[in-house]
Amino acid sequence: MRAAVEIKELSYRFPGRPTPALDRLSFRVEPGECVAILGPNGAGKSTLLLHLNGLLPEKFGDAPQLWIDGEPVTPANLAQIRRKVGLLFQDPEDQLISATVFEDVAFGPCQLGIDGPSLESLVKDCLERVGLPGFEAREPHRLSHGEKRRVCLAGVLACEPAVLVLDEPTSDLDPRGRREFKALLQRLPGAKLMATHDLELAVDLCPRSLILDGGKLVAQGDTLQLLADEKLMLAHGLERPHSLLHRHPHGPAYQLHRL
Amino acid sequence: MQARTTFEGQTWLHRVRAGLKLAVTLAVVLFTVMLPRRPHLAALVPLSFLLIVWLSARPPLRLMLKRLLVAEFFILGLALLTVFNPAAAPLVAAALIKSNLCVIALLLLTWSTPFLEILHVLRRLGLPEVMLSTLALMVRYLPVLREESRRMQRARASRTFSSGRRLAWRSLGNIIGQLFVRSADRAERIYLAMCARGWK
Repeated sequence: MRAAVEIKELSYRFPGRPTPALDRLSFRVEPGECVAILGPNGAGKSTLLLHLNGLLPEKFGDAPQLWIDGEPVTPANLAQIRRKVGLLFQDPEDQLISATVFEDVAFGPCQLGIDGPSLESLVKDCLERVGLPGFEAREPHRLSHGEKRRVCLAGVLACEPAVLVLDEPTSDLDPRGRREFKALLQRLPGAKLMATHDLELAVDLCPRSLILDGGKLVAQGDTLQLLADEKLMLAHGLERPHSLLHRHPHGPAYQLHRL
Repeated sequence: MQARTTFEGQTWLHRVRAGLKLAVTLAVVLFTVMLPRRPHLAALVPLSFLLIVWLSARPPLRLMLKRLLVAEFFILGLALLTVFNPAAAPLVAAALIKSNLCVIALLLLTWSTPFLEILHVLRRLGLPEVMLSTLALMVRYLPVLREESRRMQRARASRTFSSGRRLAWRSLGNIIGQLFVRSADRAERIYLAMCARGWK
């Protein structure tokens, strides 16, 4: 079966830096799989995510090192790759570029040549999927942080990506916003890859995790097993999440999925 | 910014179609610009027209004066250049009258019309896409920049314990410099986010 994402021996060094940001990374993500990328600040998580969309490296080597849905990421097929990989950035302000929510969600589809009534129904549909029906005419700078993030997600979904790549999807959200956004992500089909410091997010959504440190893949496997390994967690700037230490005060029904 | 001033106190001027307002403003500006180089009675035509519009729509005086003041710096800057030559006084006076009339016409337009509507009209008129998207991005990110500079100023103020004017100016300089650097970084991230959604 074709992997949703396949990476072989991927290395990258920012110009002028002595150490590589990514050091011979190799892993696979199966279609429909949800994988968390964990690791301390500066581990290379965001750099890796930019590679998945072909935004890095600036100069491609001869042999491809990344395959999305079986297709190699090369300069020649960047447009297809970017359509297949939906990238949600950490700061919604960077992603929301238009004056109205409608125009922003329509930004991707417009590039694909969709317009008229089909564009309108697509935007409406995407806003409903993220729980913001009727937000078309709103202005991005008047939305709450959680709403901004959802509009960003709607804009990504509008391109119908096969792989969803999320950079810190729950940072800066209040507990309710986080819970709702998690439930929203869980409902979305397709492979998902999320870089996060929110270990509860990994526990709740991602059966499998990768741990990155210093640009290297230091561990991968079952999320609960990895996170329960105290030694491994502390060695890489992480910790055992509370949900693995205590019972949740609201009981298991409160959580999205459990052991 | 535009939207806020529009939602409060809707006047008849707000309800006029954006295209019409843009056309009339353009006509007023063109007429004013083409007046003779020395002060001329014909300047009373745009002046009385603008006065009628102003008095019937009654824009908030303080807001308009504040905005006029911003433009006035540039106008006076130009006027200063000709002060060295006293013979040029009538020319300077005419230039002052003309530029103020034009600025007031534009102020009335932007006060009564959401910027988005102006953009739509310009798009229908077939202005180059590069110009339109630059304008649209500017309008989108002005509030973000304002918020960012406010946050920086607050953070700076929370660690400022002396009340030296020099220090204040220096930290203002720092903040402006920082704002440039951060904006450049943000522009880079925005560009990446646009590419990620298929921008070429």
